[in-house]
Amino acid sequence: MTSSWMRRLAALGMVAALSAPAAAATQLTGAGSSFDYPFFSKAFYIYSQKNPDVTVNYQSIGSGGGIQQFTAKNVDFGATDVPMNAEELSRAGQPVLQIPVTLGGAAVAYNLPGVTTMIRLTRQVIADIYLGKILKWNDPAIARLNKGVNLPDMAIVVVHRSDGSGTSYMFTDFLSHVSPEWKSKVGVGKSVSWPAPSSVGAKGNEGVAGQVRSTPGAIGYVELAYVVENKMPAAIIENKAGKWVSCAEDTVAASAATKPEVSATNFSIVDAAGADSYPIASYSWVVIYKKPADAARAKMLYGVLSWLVGPQGQSNAKSVDYVPLPKNVQAAALGTLKQMQH
Amino acid sequence: MASFAGARDRASSTRYKRLGRRRVYGHLGTALALGCATVAAAALLAILGYVVYQGIGAINWAFLTQLPHPVGVSGGGVGNGILGSLIIIGTATLMAIPIGLLTGIYLALFGRGAIAETLRFFSDVLSGVPSIAIGLFAYTVLVAPLKHFSAFSASFAFMMLMLPLLVRTSEQAIRSVPQSVREGALALGMSNARATLRIVLPTAMPAIVTALLLAIARVTGETAPLLFTAFGSQFWETNPSNPMAELSLQVFTYAISPYPSWQAQAWGGALLLIVAVFALSAGARFMLSRAMRGLEA
Repeated sequence: MTSSWMRRLAALGMVAALSAPAAAATQLTGAGSSFDYPFFSKAFYIYSQKNPDVTVNYQSIGSGGGIQQFTAKNVDFGATDVPMNAEELSRAGQPVLQIPVTLGGAAVAYNLPGVTTMIRLTRQVIADIYLGKILKWNDPAIARLNKGVNLPDMAIVVVHRSDGSGTSYMFTDFLSHVSPEWKSKVGVGKSVSWPAPSSVGAKGNEGVAGQVRSTPGAIGYVELAYVVENKMPAAIIENKAGKWVSCAEDTVAASAATKPEVSATNFSIVDAAGADSYPIASYSWVVIYKKPADAARAKMLYGVLSWLVGPQGQSNAKSVDYVPLPKNVQAAALGTLKQMQH
Repeated sequence: MASFAGARDRASSTRYKRLGRRRVYGHLGTALALGCATVAAAALLAILGYVVYQGIGAINWAFLTQLPHPVGVSGGGVGNGILGSLIIIGTATLMAIPIGLLTGIYLALFGRGAIAETLRFFSDVLSGVPSIAIGLFAYTVLVAPLKHFSAFSASFAFMMLMLPLLVRTSEQAIRSVPQSVREGALALGMSNARATLRIVLPTAMPAIVTALLLAIARVTGETAPLLFTAFGSQFWETNPSNPMAELSLQVFTYAISPYPSWQAQAWGGALLLIVAVFALSAGARFMLSRAMRGLEA
């Protein structure tokens, strides 16, 4: 009885295996930033169509998790929105190369039933909301910026990331630039202790976007692509120059343009000067070992990454609401990548 | 004394009243039990109904046979996840059957003394370990040392989840074969081993297969152990040493995504999982009823 049952199961497995197309030759694995995920998902899909012998399996587990799995050498590359710091680099035990791969912004998305006009927030008001000093949507500090908008008498639910996140780093970096109180009380990090009383954590950019969408009164920082894909409303923010800007490709590019020389130790582009700069923007990075253990995989990884940071790979950025790397950063990324043994 | 007699008097005079009260309590109890049963059944039906309502629209041929599409490209399916589930759970089952069955036979036929008691105890403890802890264990022994995520590590975790159920139920199944059947076989000149393999095991088999189906159903809905092991994949993957897609893992990923098309597919995947578990449970019931009839006959 068991044997006939097992035979049937084996036959089923065989039919399933045969009906599937032949598996691709070599699979590179990467893990990390959910900020990068929509861009990678699209770009690697295109790459595999052109190069059927290589597939890239990228899983969006958050920048913190990406660095961890990269350090444990369970993946071929990690992706993180904030470069690995000295301590993380020493834990890796081997020389690491950090390559900028894309540029994006974090939109401040919200869920206000009945409000159809885009609301406006100053940098200070965003900091005060996340500090827990502004608790209601109809607070005078918000109402003053949004005359003519019927703001509801609704509690603000602050949504943040629950996992180690480069987007959290970018956002707390921004808050620390604009609010000395935030800088001294909370600080900058991939995961911090969120002070607002009604804080809700969610996993990944996906999770924060989902949480904001399903919670009336919620506010959360989400990568631009997630907001655009879901047609979620996002706040128009007053930048350092006093101009009102919304999170978009051109305003993020304007922020990046204020810092032409970007490196793994000098990378912050938040709260940039310039009339068109959107204040919450960041490069995102891929981390690889300078001397990968497997030469054949190293060669393929070099092929994928040099395509990704070059004009062809970067041309996929716009279709998924990311900003292509500026030409000089592309050149610098390729220069760093060439140090890899391949 | 007087008070004693008074009490007896009162008892006899209130006999009818008490009987009535008992009847009321009896009806109340029945009503309460019925009410609770209705709530339990209604919850199950509501979940089933809602998943069918949300998921049925997502299910079509492309959903069952195609690869997931990248974000922003419409369409796509969970074909690789279905294939991955079959491979991962199939491998886990093939590993769990010999270990679980032989341990069960040992416990049922020779299981006396400290070793057997320790085995039973550990088996019971293992059945209570949270599946996420088993996933972490599989990560520690198979992913971290080998330096890559793999479908096999997921199968290993699933096997660990299936083992305690298989061990204890196969032990019970074999024990429930009447001693007289075994003695009859021995009296006809069969060796002990032959009597076990040819007479006792086949008699116990329907109950063991029932346990096996339930064990498969138990791991079919598991996601937690897969996070650190199978890892997920966007491709057709058949090599167990590579990361692999799995249906419940895809449902998890899609459900927390913000994309409405992915959320619809998550409902579709959830419906597939429920149908699979339902089929396995129905199969288990069928086998069990056959086992009962076999024992009665």
